[in-house]
Amino acid sequence: MNKLLLACLLALPAAASAYDLSEMAEFNDHYKNARYEEALEGYRKVVKKEPANPWGWYNAGNAQFRLGRMGPAVFNYAKAFTLNPRSGDIRANLDFALRQTGQRLVPEGAPKALHLLYYLFSDGELQAAAILFFWLACLTGGAGFLLDGSGPGRASGRASLALGALLLLSLAWLGARQSSTFTAAGVVTRAGGTRMLSGPGESFKTYASAPEGRLVKILDYDDEIYYEIGLPKEGIKGWALKTEVERL
Amino acid sequence: MPARPLKFFCALALALLLAAPGAAYLAVTAETDRSTVEIDGNLYLTVTVSGDSANVPEPKLPNMQNFNVYSSGRSQSISIINGKITTSVSFTYILTPRFIGAQTIPSISVFNGKEKAIAPELQVTVTKAKAALAAPSQPASRPAQPARPAARKQAAGGADRVPIFIKAETDRKSAYPGEQINVSIKFYTSVPLSSNPQYVPPAFKNLISEDLPPVRNGETDINGVRYAYSEIKAAMFALTPGPAEIKSATVIAQVPTDEQIDPFDPNFFQKFMARSGAQGQSRDFSTDPISIDIKPLPAGAPAAFGGAVGTYSVLASADRSEARTGEAVNFSVTVTGSGNLKAVTAPKLPDLADFKVFDTMSSLDIRKDGDVISGKKTFTYILVPRAEGRKTVPPVKFAFFDPRAGAYRELATDPVTLTVEKGAQAGKSLNFTPGSAAASAVTQSGSDIRYVSERKGGDALPFVAAQVNTLPYWSHAVPAALLGLSFLLARMNRFKLANPLLFRFRRARSEAARDIEETEALIKAGKHNEAVSTLYDSYMAYLSDKCGVKVSALTIRKATDLIKARFPRASARALEEIKDLWSALELRHFSPAAAEAEGARDLTRKYSLLIELLEKELR
Repeated sequence: MNKLLLACLLALPAAASAYDLSEMAEFNDHYKNARYEEALEGYRKVVKKEPANPWGWYNAGNAQFRLGRMGPAVFNYAKAFTLNPRSGDIRANLDFALRQTGQRLVPEGAPKALHLLYYLFSDGELQAAAILFFWLACLTGGAGFLLDGSGPGRASGRASLALGALLLLSLAWLGARQSSTFTAAGVVTRAGGTRMLSGPGESFKTYASAPEGRLVKILDYDDEIYYEIGLPKEGIKGWALKTEVERL
Repeated sequence: MPARPLKFFCALALALLLAAPGAAYLAVTAETDRSTVEIDGNLYLTVTVSGDSANVPEPKLPNMQNFNVYSSGRSQSISIINGKITTSVSFTYILTPRFIGAQTIPSISVFNGKEKAIAPELQVTVTKAKAALAAPSQPASRPAQPARPAARKQAAGGADRVPIFIKAETDRKSAYPGEQINVSIKFYTSVPLSSNPQYVPPAFKNLISEDLPPVRNGETDINGVRYAYSEIKAAMFALTPGPAEIKSATVIAQVPTDEQIDPFDPNFFQKFMARSGAQGQSRDFSTDPISIDIKPLPAGAPAAFGGAVGTYSVLASADRSEARTGEAVNFSVTVTGSGNLKAVTAPKLPDLADFKVFDTMSSLDIRKDGDVISGKKTFTYILVPRAEGRKTVPPVKFAFFDPRAGAYRELATDPVTLTVEKGAQAGKSLNFTPGSAAASAVTQSGSDIRYVSERKGGDALPFVAAQVNTLPYWSHAVPAALLGLSFLLARMNRFKLANPLLFRFRRARSEAARDIEETEALIKAGKHNEAVSTLYDSYMAYLSDKCGVKVSALTIRKATDLIKARFPRASARALEEIKDLWSALELRHFSPAAAEAEGARDLTRKYSLLIELLEKELR
């Protein structure tokens, strides 16, 4: 039964992506033949249908990079990274694009292995893991109560405790990731960068600018037209048009 | 547009421009300075080999029977942009035609061990010499030309004279290792030749040689005999101290037996080469070997001496004065002068604490003006500034031995200062292969994004995660509720196990009610004795549950006493009813004959009423 359930779960992505197998190959052909705009159009369709497909974002990032649009390229790579941070290709291209914009994936001085471990799972995967651990801990705990006093009941209780510990670990991991560069973040996608205003409106003073491709923290989403963004490295924050900053 | 994006787009555009030819990893082109040449003229053939590594192979010239080929020099350019290396080397050759007519320079190929590139063949038209054509009409313009049949007859008829001979001589008999020695090989003839002579260059011992083209032709009088001569020169450099030797050079000439060519014709040499089909006697003419003493270099060489011999100057420069940390800066040291530049090695850089030094590449330009090997060799070091600020590359020392002065010289470049700003440190990933590295070494000449993914669909984990995360929040209450319910059930179970009497007390009424239903069923079935028995057992069990003692230990007296003690509010009537029912049931139970239908029904009704009464009073 469990195997069947697992098989069903694993079959989900395959089934979900089955429709675009030939499409992706076609878009890659466009890319191969330097028809980047056409390839990009195709990759956009893929990510619209499958927002959780990291390779759609990754390929779109490649097309944007080839078109010289560094901001959108960084955004697409970052999206792919947030979905599958373990992929060497995604990490390499994101790092490459970030370097083109004066940034880097692994912070200076940070061990690469530690960074890899920190980003072993995406936020979505950690959240899903927390949910699954919660379910399993509850169910095994319930079984432990129902089989109270028996051997299987004690085993269920121990399993429930272990799953509870994993749940806490995943929650702690998620908590630690709240300070990540890619959590509550956005990318400046406007060519030439975006202005940072001192308030959400044109009547406020422009006192800084964020260059294209720059990863920024989004501090406030509530305004309809502006994000409040922060540049942690420089220690400044301001308001930027939502049309010029793509939220990850 | 801000400066930074502008720089970026410029760099990107340049990278794209470079990327287009970069698709051909190795390329070779060949061109001549003209398509028509006179038989007495020279043709410059330039072969350019370009590639995207620091080292490109030398072209392999095909066997060209129609031309005499002499190496004239080389010129190299190397560029490093964003870690991408592009090298272009032009090899220049002087070709002297041997035959009149349409001639073909075969295709020229280069091979770097992995790829082969081929330059297409070239067509050249070789015409007669203008001087020869003009000679009949302009005899006065060439008074020095010995086109005098009488003189020729006289020279050819001199029996005690050697009509053809070859001579080799050097400009010095001793030299230092690396010092240029010129050798001149002259082929003299006072008689006409019927075919082209073939020149076989000498072998060398402890020497390396460089051609010094072009071939010089002339005339001279030796002991009263007029000779035409062709002179071939070569520069040599000794390798190590000790004896060196130029072995015999040979010219194989076809001496005609009938038709003659005027040896005093200014174009004599080319003419007899052009007459390849003529008949004649083949004769070899060889030079005597020449020995040269190679002296050891004097002691006391400076620490910076790397074996360079000649006369040099040195200059250092950087490709920019401003840089960012992590960005690659091309720092060049150029050695210019005369000597065997091929053997000049890269000067050692001083300790550079402020820079990370990557590998070194060299480019070489050689000229042969005035029979002197000269030119420049540029060593390019890739420096990556480590920290921001004003950083200086200290003077680079270069030492050489000056053979004219017989002393060592040590030069130092001017310091080079760079203004370094804080940057992205992207250059740390650059890697270059040194010029002397083996061909099999890996050379990273640049970097780029990785190719699009061919993966069809996505990995399972992100998709499973996405599916799990789309579950509605309320659904997560289900396991929590199940857990809570299980917990309550377990608690209840434990309580039940810990308090069995309490549960018997609470359960007594429901069990009694069930027994009453069973009794009524038995009465209906006519089984009066079984009905009374069932009723009796039920009554005993009920009192046992209410009193908390076993049935076997229960008597009427004990039961009433326990009820009085546990339930003080129990009325005397209830106690009396208990006793009466007990007695009646015992009587019927132990005297089955008296257990008639009406009696059983009556007992059942009494039992039911007593239960109702006791449930009210026993609380």
